[in-house]
Amino acid sequence: MRTGQPRLGSQNRIAAYFAAVVSDESVRECFAGPAAFPILPNKRVYFARNRGDGEDKEEVEAKVQALGVTATSKYMGEQWLVHVPGTHTRSATHHPQKNCVSNFVTFTTRHQATTTFIMVGPTASLAPLYRADGSSSYTCPATGYELLGAVNAPVELPARRDALKPEEATVEVFVKPGTTTAGVGERYVEGILRSVLATVILGREKGLPRRGVVITLAIVGGEDVERGDSYLTLLPALLHTSLLALLSATVPLSMTFSATLLGVTKSGIIIPDPSAADAKAMASLHALAFSSKGHLLLNESQGRFEFDTWEAVRQKALAICQNTAVSADGDVSMAEGAEGAPLHDFVRETVEDQVHRDYPWKIDAV
Amino acid sequence: MSKEAPLSVAERDFILDALHQNVRLDGRGLDQFRPLSVSFGNEYGHVKLRLGKTSLVVRISAEVTKPRDDRPFDGLFNIALELSAMGSPAWENGRSNDLEAYVSHILDRVIRHSNALDTESLCIIQGVSCWNIRADVHVLDFDGNLTDAACIGVMAGLQHFRRPDAVVKDGQVVVYGVEERVPVALNITQKPLSTTFHSFDEGKTVILDATRKEEQASEGELVIGINNAGDVCFLSKFAGDPIDALFVVNKSNVAQEKVKEINAMVDKVLQADLARRAKKGMAEEAQAENDREVSPNDPFV
Amino acid sequence: MTTPLVLLPGEEVPSDHLPPTKNNNPLKLGPGLRLLSQPSTSAAAGHVLTATQAGLLTTDAKRNTVSLLSFSNRRYLPTTNDLIIAQIHHSSADYFHCMVTPHTAHALLGQLSFEGATKKTRPMLKQGELVYARVLSVGIGAGAEVELTCVNPATGKAEPGGLGPLVGGMVFDVSTGMAARLIRASSASPDQTDAVEGLVVLSELDKKLESVGGFEIAVGRNGKVWVDCSNAGDSAIQATVAIGRCLQQTDEGNLSTSEQKKLVSRILREMKIG
Repeated sequence: MRTGQPRLGSQNRIAAYFAAVVSDESVRECFAGPAAFPILPNKRVYFARNRGDGEDKEEVEAKVQALGVTATSKYMGEQWLVHVPGTHTRSATHHPQKNCVSNFVTFTTRHQATTTFIMVGPTASLAPLYRADGSSSYTCPATGYELLGAVNAPVELPARRDALKPEEATVEVFVKPGTTTAGVGERYVEGILRSVLATVILGREKGLPRRGVVITLAIVGGEDVERGDSYLTLLPALLHTSLLALLSATVPLSMTFSATLLGVTKSGIIIPDPSAADAKAMASLHALAFSSKGHLLLNESQGRFEFDTWEAVRQKALAICQNTAVSADGDVSMAEGAEGAPLHDFVRETVEDQVHRDYPWKIDAV
Repeated sequence: MSKEAPLSVAERDFILDALHQNVRLDGRGLDQFRPLSVSFGNEYGHVKLRLGKTSLVVRISAEVTKPRDDRPFDGLFNIALELSAMGSPAWENGRSNDLEAYVSHILDRVIRHSNALDTESLCIIQGVSCWNIRADVHVLDFDGNLTDAACIGVMAGLQHFRRPDAVVKDGQVVVYGVEERVPVALNITQKPLSTTFHSFDEGKTVILDATRKEEQASEGELVIGINNAGDVCFLSKFAGDPIDALFVVNKSNVAQEKVKEINAMVDKVLQADLARRAKKGMAEEAQAENDREVSPNDPFV
Repeated sequence: MTTPLVLLPGEEVPSDHLPPTKNNNPLKLGPGLRLLSQPSTSAAAGHVLTATQAGLLTTDAKRNTVSLLSFSNRRYLPTTNDLIIAQIHHSSADYFHCMVTPHTAHALLGQLSFEGATKKTRPMLKQGELVYARVLSVGIGAGAEVELTCVNPATGKAEPGGLGPLVGGMVFDVSTGMAARLIRASSASPDQTDAVEGLVVLSELDKKLESVGGFEIAVGRNGKVWVDCSNAGDSAIQATVAIGRCLQQTDEGNLSTSEQKKLVSRILREMKIG
């Protein structure tokens, strides 16, 4: 189906993440508690990848060049299985994002396509739904959340709601929890989402003024946020799902963005993407979103923290989203030849996957 | 905004003309369902269902609560269907519409009032605590026959769901986590499903599992809730042209056949999923070090 | 062009992807792109174009256009000169109020905007009837109304041919991307033997249904395809359903040309035609 240079889809990040785990001594220490992953450097790592295009059974040989670890993928059902000879098999849905992977790893496939990665990312697809004008599905491996987003735009809104801003589009966000009725928590997070999304939607473009952009997000899998609990853990996932659904509906946007959640433990260690359970134990939680041009679009924090902590969190978040900042201790460095940002890449890969699906006749002809 | 866009004259006339010749737009027979696919997610009671282009997700959840004062021996069971703009641009977020009320009513009658889920088995301490089982229906895509799709989804979810085990110790209710004790299946007494027929041409032509456009062109509908044994638990004909009584009898037989087929199909998927979980559970026990629950994959997608 | 270039909103179009600008021939922008700054001189490199949607960048050096091909399932936005299939919602003294896409404001079609229409001869269209129309104007800014016409105001003729009320037949929904492909494929020169836009489904149907009387088709950019097989006599219904199913399955499955040929044969066999 695909021609030209083979591309590694977003799913491959999971594999890459594990490769990263193997490659870095310091990384292993970040694993929390009994879930520690007993991998030693220079061990072989097997991983599966799911390309989602019917060619699942392809085996990809990957080599972690940085430390000379050879990793080979093997199809083992739809699960991400990692096998380290001498230890036992593990699933790759194994709360991977909890860990702080700070080094970039370059690895090569059999096709000699070199790609640069940093830790596991979410997986997503565009246009899974048929009635909505645009839609996206999003699975977050760290928390187990499965989200669906739908966008209807531009549509006519009942007259009472468009009167406020006659010059531009009215953005409406609706969050539907999986196993409860929507309540105060959902209304609160809808407000945050609406303000972030309204800044990137070009509401004055042709056809949009006085019309509605209706974004509906449903949490279809994973545990619900319990009443009274923080919605921050879900916020990055909700933002990514909305962005992808907006792209799928071709709502004009001034830029894209990526978001991340960071937790700070009581001892001051910054943990990217803590799960909902872990988040409860954090001293503070920070959800940040950066536009593709580097603007800070969202800054929601909770808990007690110093300004210095927040600054460190911001730098880390920027590095995760954008791959642009270099912190003082050289913690995150620019990978040579890396284009764009890791989480930003995830948005791009999802879009590219869909373009390839929609335009095989066009791309193959080139 | 709460109404689907009306059909054009051409569409309505053509659908009727074609049905005169027993032809449907998707090439189906009159008494044929669209392709049905049911699969289960990671959690117990997480159903993904697709009937043609209509698709939905059902989530079953349980919590301990106090029984109603007038029914101290009964647990609680609710079906929550909330239509959002995801399923159709015609539906407005946060506002209920006629379809929502209509489908909720039928689900209540077919599943709850038929006592398909034995609510007495949900009682923990009489008058003090009981389980509250909640079925959430999320409509992802609406292309007709929401009633039957939701009904199949909720029934499949109830059969798949496992609630945590709870015991009474010294008058206190202790709920065990899924890791501590094997969770408990719900007590399903029977498996009734609804089947919806739409009539055309003054009741001369009747079709099963109408698409959205066929529903819009139809003159009336007949819903039969029936179980495998042929017990009719619900029968409704809310509006539209009258149809012959004999016809209702004939269609009940068709409905029973369809319900049997669908229940058998759901059962097969359910058994396969449970078998896979059991196998995985054993594998996990064998590897005591494997400390964390892995998310099972879904072989049916 | 070497590799397909996919742009995200906010990204600039690389200047080497722009067609070389010639004098007197300004660059035309398609949907999904906007101009942030224009060259002060006639130097070609001065354009700064950024994407507002995600999509595949395509350029046409001959027509000097650059545009972004976006996803095919989106909602249709009326654009001047597009041909669409509109459904009459109601009529007022001077206008028919038409539905172009569901749940959006109605477009206006003048009661006299038909070929040869006068106060006495104008068509009396009722609610739910269909017209094949051209988008005359889309207006600017908030509250802009879309105006349609079934006649070329310069000549008074229904140009391009076929504009006006669509009587009988059946209308099928396809994605807006598919509708655009069908239109481009049908406007290609007839002597072109290759599959245009990767579509052979219509030409295959044309060949196979010729014996039963052929069919008439009108494609609206708003994702509607009107099909009429009234020449096919007894098998008119089957043929119409077959065409609809072929189009929709080609669209939904993004079928390749060989798959489209197989699909056409299979569906015609199923519907017992040809």
